[in-house]
Amino acid sequence: MDIEALKEEFLNKDFDEQSFDVDADDIVNFALACGEIAPRYTDPSHPDFQAPPTFASSFHAGRRMPEGFPKIPGLGMDGGKASSLKHPIRPGVRLVGRTHLHDIYTKTGRSGPMTFLVMRMEIYDPDGVQLATADTSVVIRERPGK
Amino acid sequence: MTINRISDVEFGEELPVFTPDTSLDNVRRFATAAGWAGPRFTDHEAARAEGLPGALVPGIMSQGFLAAMIHRWAPEAQIKNVDTVFRAPVIVDQPYTISGVVTDIDEEAGNVEIDLTVNNEAGETRVFGTATVRISNPSS
Repeated sequence: MDIEALKEEFLNKDFDEQSFDVDADDIVNFALACGEIAPRYTDPSHPDFQAPPTFASSFHAGRRMPEGFPKIPGLGMDGGKASSLKHPIRPGVRLVGRTHLHDIYTKTGRSGPMTFLVMRMEIYDPDGVQLATADTSVVIRERPGK
Repeated sequence: MTINRISDVEFGEELPVFTPDTSLDNVRRFATAAGWAGPRFTDHEAARAEGLPGALVPGIMSQGFLAAMIHRWAPEAQIKNVDTVFRAPVIVDQPYTISGVVTDIDEEAGNVEIDLTVNNEAGETRVFGTATVRISNPSS
């Protein structure tokens, strides 16, 4: 697998766009289930009511990978999430999430070679202000004997 | 101790240990709110049929536990980012504890770095995370 060629062809190019409507009840249930106790996350009547800072990680892209991206052989797993919040996410606003392949790299662990794919969704409000980013890392472990 | 200003934070300080609610009912509540209500998260039998040891706590819920833990320690903290690595599954209806330690303080910028771990009863780390948190002094 030529990682540098994949980077050249696919990195930092938006391959998906989705709209999201954020509901106040979903924010409250998300927050309470996580154990949040701050009223700004759990009480819709709070003047600063907003989604918890990791809420953006729940948004799904419509496609998992860019069109034409080759299948990397091995066992794929969810390797991690990263959320970065620039401005609060509030209910009643239609958001747009645009996704691109942010990074590709390899590592060799105790179980053998692994390829890491990092998908980044950037979330914007209707005025085009970026509110948050949500990264999803997919780890592909080469199957033994391959 | 609840933190209300960055000058109260000490390097190496351990956050109060947090025991998250991993019950099936609570995970279902989360999964429905997050739009992640697949059977592997909401049904032990369905998860076992997929070869899993039981229903999984979604990774994004573990990430949410870390944020909640920080807010319980510093209620007004603004979490700028949370980066999590999923090292092993977190299983529904099993007990876990979350620990956190302050690893850096930039008092001028108002930023605190925290390392966080989700451990099972055997003390094995299932999720590892780092967070950057802004905690202002009241006058700033």
